[in-house]
Amino acid sequence: MAPTTYLQAIGAGLREEMRRDERVFVMGEDVGAFGGAFKVTDGLVDEFGPARVRDTPIAEAAIVGTAVGAAIAGLRPVCEMQFADFVACGFDQLVNVAGKMHYRLGLAVPLVVRLPVGGGFSGGPFHSQNPEAWFMHAPGLKVVAPSTPADARGLLLSAIRDPNPVVFLEHKHLYRRVKEELPEVASPTPMTARIARAGDDLTIVAYGAMVHAALEAAEALGADGDGASVEVLDLRSLVPLDEEAILASVRKTSKVLVVDEANATCAAGAQVAALVADRAFEDLDGPVRRIATPDIPIPFSPPLEQAALPSASTIAEAARELLDY
Amino acid sequence: MDASAAALLAVPDAREVLLTSEDRRRLWEHLLLMRTVEDEGIKLYKKGKIPGSFYDGRGQEAISVGAAFALSAQDPICSPLIRDLGAHLVRGTDLTELFRHYMGRENALSRGREGNVHFGDRHLGVVGMVSMLPDMVVVAVGLAMAFAMRGEARCALTFFGDGATSRGDWHEALNWAAIDRLPVVFVLEDNHLAYSTPQSRQFATHPADRAEAYGIAVERVDGNDVEAVHAAVAGARERCLAGEGPVLVCATTMRMHGHGAHDDARYVDPELLDAWRARDPLERYRVVAAEHGVDVEAVERDVRAAVDAAVAEALTTPMADAATLMDGVFCEGEAEPLGVGGAAPWSAYDEGAR
Amino acid sequence: MPHMGTSVVEGTIIGWSKQVGDHVDLDETLCEVTTDKVDTECPSPAAGVLAEILVDVGETVDVGTVVARIEVEGGVATPATPAGPVAPARAEAAAPASNGAAAANGNGAAGPRVSPVVARMAAVHDLDLAQIPGTGRGGRVTKKDVLAFLDRAPEPEERPLHSESPYRPDDAPPAPAPSPPRDDLGGVPQPLSRIRQAIGRAMLASQLTTATCHTVVECDMSRVENRRRDLGLTALPLVSAAVVETLRGFGQLNATLDGTTITTYERVHLGIAVSLGDDGLIVPVIHDAQDLSPQGLGTRIKDLARRARAGQLVPDDVQGATFTITNPGAFGATIATPIINAPQVAILDLEAIIRRPVVITDDDNNESIAIRPMVNLVLGWDHRAIDGVYAAQFLTALRRRLEAAG
Repeated sequence: MAPTTYLQAIGAGLREEMRRDERVFVMGEDVGAFGGAFKVTDGLVDEFGPARVRDTPIAEAAIVGTAVGAAIAGLRPVCEMQFADFVACGFDQLVNVAGKMHYRLGLAVPLVVRLPVGGGFSGGPFHSQNPEAWFMHAPGLKVVAPSTPADARGLLLSAIRDPNPVVFLEHKHLYRRVKEELPEVASPTPMTARIARAGDDLTIVAYGAMVHAALEAAEALGADGDGASVEVLDLRSLVPLDEEAILASVRKTSKVLVVDEANATCAAGAQVAALVADRAFEDLDGPVRRIATPDIPIPFSPPLEQAALPSASTIAEAARELLDY
Repeated sequence: MDASAAALLAVPDAREVLLTSEDRRRLWEHLLLMRTVEDEGIKLYKKGKIPGSFYDGRGQEAISVGAAFALSAQDPICSPLIRDLGAHLVRGTDLTELFRHYMGRENALSRGREGNVHFGDRHLGVVGMVSMLPDMVVVAVGLAMAFAMRGEARCALTFFGDGATSRGDWHEALNWAAIDRLPVVFVLEDNHLAYSTPQSRQFATHPADRAEAYGIAVERVDGNDVEAVHAAVAGARERCLAGEGPVLVCATTMRMHGHGAHDDARYVDPELLDAWRARDPLERYRVVAAEHGVDVEAVERDVRAAVDAAVAEALTTPMADAATLMDGVFCEGEAEPLGVGGAAPWSAYDEGAR
Repeated sequence: MPHMGTSVVEGTIIGWSKQVGDHVDLDETLCEVTTDKVDTECPSPAAGVLAEILVDVGETVDVGTVVARIEVEGGVATPATPAGPVAPARAEAAAPASNGAAAANGNGAAGPRVSPVVARMAAVHDLDLAQIPGTGRGGRVTKKDVLAFLDRAPEPEERPLHSESPYRPDDAPPAPAPSPPRDDLGGVPQPLSRIRQAIGRAMLASQLTTATCHTVVECDMSRVENRRRDLGLTALPLVSAAVVETLRGFGQLNATLDGTTITTYERVHLGIAVSLGDDGLIVPVIHDAQDLSPQGLGTRIKDLARRARAGQLVPDDVQGATFTITNPGAFGATIATPIINAPQVAILDLEAIIRRPVVITDDDNNESIAIRPMVNLVLGWDHRAIDGVYAAQFLTALRRRLEAAG
């Protein structure tokens, strides 16, 4: 079997769930005949028809809001935002209507909103954002961020089968860059962290595309005469956050570098850093360090964008400093 | 074929609905129940028994009662707003639970997580509102979309005020429903005020006219006439189920109290209020019901007794338990869809209509 | 040892203003410190009695090192032994410096701190961290160091049943410093002061690494002289303002040169050389001089000179210059060959303004001899960065600006 890309894995996950459960349907802008802006839903309309692969008007609030209605009516909608940035237009429906529904009324809202996130390709300020922190801060929403094709498929299965609204962050940079052999039969990936690389001297906590940058940095640190043994923890799920996995890794290495591609303030990484400071203080042998994108809209021009986003080299540099601490 | 034969073969006009005297007794009962519960709520609020604020729908009772009365149990209401307590009552919300909910006591409707008319009973097919209006209009369109996808003969009904039509979600919802001709009844409560802001500061084109521009059929009705509202919504529902697409029922009325119990509404012209007071939906319907043989006084006694009993029992209920604070942010088990167990008191549903 | 700027990592105590047992007030001068950037007085961080001096005069220690202990009024008497590695709860005169005095190890102000995990391990294994060589930043003992130590260390012996006497003999008093020997010629060799050494290192490095040339123009200061009297200023701020303006058209001179990379700046951080008399020379910096009026420049120059002579400059006051002006003319010199303050690429020398006879030409091209206040403007410049034409063009542009000033 040929290796499957991250993008194909998401498409495969959708197809498998739609075959398995007739309540599952997808909707979004240009997801039907066009197959989605990134071709994630390519071919689905041929198999499942336009009723279950629904092209919508340009109306993000209505995409999310009607998904809430369909979900409480017993369906399993999977909405696509063409770019994660556009979810701001549907923010109210997601945060105020979907997120609070079960706590207020005991009414479950099983829906998935897929957000193509991330920069690195000159998408500019409206096509590059990583808005996960908005939703981590909104009670009642789950937030997952796969970094590999297997987890992209597995977490999508988990998200669709979850009885709660799930924000599914799929990283555009990974769509066609990472690939792997997938098992014939998909199984749901638990919403827990994964040790992407084991090590003893330092933990790098990351998720999404930054897992790959962290792995590259870890390799460099192991090879470049640093001889450092660096652990990379792939969070996979931000809500729920696998606190025990984070704490266990920090207890082992005593040094932690938290990386996220999102803007720094109140980011997922800030939550991880706070957790470590709160619950692993006596295991720390150095300050909790963070790398994130500065608090700026993601700029268009390549030198600006590259200067903004964390990279393997900036991660390695920070890790080296921390190792030397 | 002569004209009389053609008339016989024509599809009956759904707006010529049949109401029995028992139907009229129930309409009178629910109108009165809504007003009695809300008057009791205002008293409890002023006595310091209801935390936060309190909102009521004085003068608008005929709309929520008449509209909900036209639905079958399969047709969800998404959502009754703060002027629409009557819709909950028609569906069968338990009065004691309602007063417990108002007072922040342990209750099955909201467990103390919500107040005011911010509740729903998912078992009765009623989705609780949110404060961001008209968000639930969009959700109602989603329910209708699900019904259409599954080919079910159901419609969703949603309420909104004239002020809420200024927001983009309303446009998205109406546009979306019109594109797919979804079975949704939009009930516009044209009550002249958005809190204190008059319509001249809300829109240049009336929402009913805008709805027509989206391609949605509009039915205009006297919102203070419960039977007229009922007939209009019943007709709209029939059209939805016939696949003719969404209908907007524009019910003209007047908000007779302030926005909430904290608002004396001194910004409203007193003469306007006097004119509308003369058209009070309860006073009007009391006469109509009595004319149709309803023992209106007996209903009044029963309602009074039921409300008093509910308040008394609610007052003995403990406040919401802080130990449950963290419960229910997420659903832990299977997602249970919105139920279809609500009451459909209209006699048209007594047999086989479900 | 207080933190005195971004690049300063160590300092030398050059005098204690208080002796053990003396009372000291909050902010009263406790000691004087010299670094390779600046000499400064250290104000006391607390009021109390100076209980202990831990760093003697002449000793150089890292920033962040505890140099003394102050017993705070009403506080607990402090034993005259060095503190253990775990941060003590007493007030310590570790960092009497200004706000945000983060020590180099990132652990805040007070002394040799350790990380939480090292503190915990030390407590669990009953370790004296002073015995463990640190490989972390600034010699900090890391978790790895503790693990390595534990690997090597034999199991601790059973504790003695009685507690050991805390008595320790005093250290032998230091031998008195030998008086400097006289040489055959009766000369008295003395070590150069730290600041002289620093100046020497910097100047020698400049001479060895730059291709310094000098260009001179004569400038008629009549109008500057009139204007400065109107404004109640010296000539220096007016010249400084003219230099800043002129540099806008001569970016290659408002620059730093590092090997083969020249960095030009839009903003002008103007170094002003200030003589400290026999104590040497210091070049405080007016940051963002382009934003200041001549009056503003005058105020800043006065303030910097006063603080320089009072030893109150902080290292940030002497860092970041992009161009320097030196003004030996104030002491009567008429020509000099200034050394560039590398990595800057130029230095302007403002010599003495002297009334001299000069040939002047009127509007009708009639020539005559007149008495004018003249000055030599000497530009020292790095031939690696620019050529002589550029230097001359800069100077003549500057001269035009000064001669037109009115």
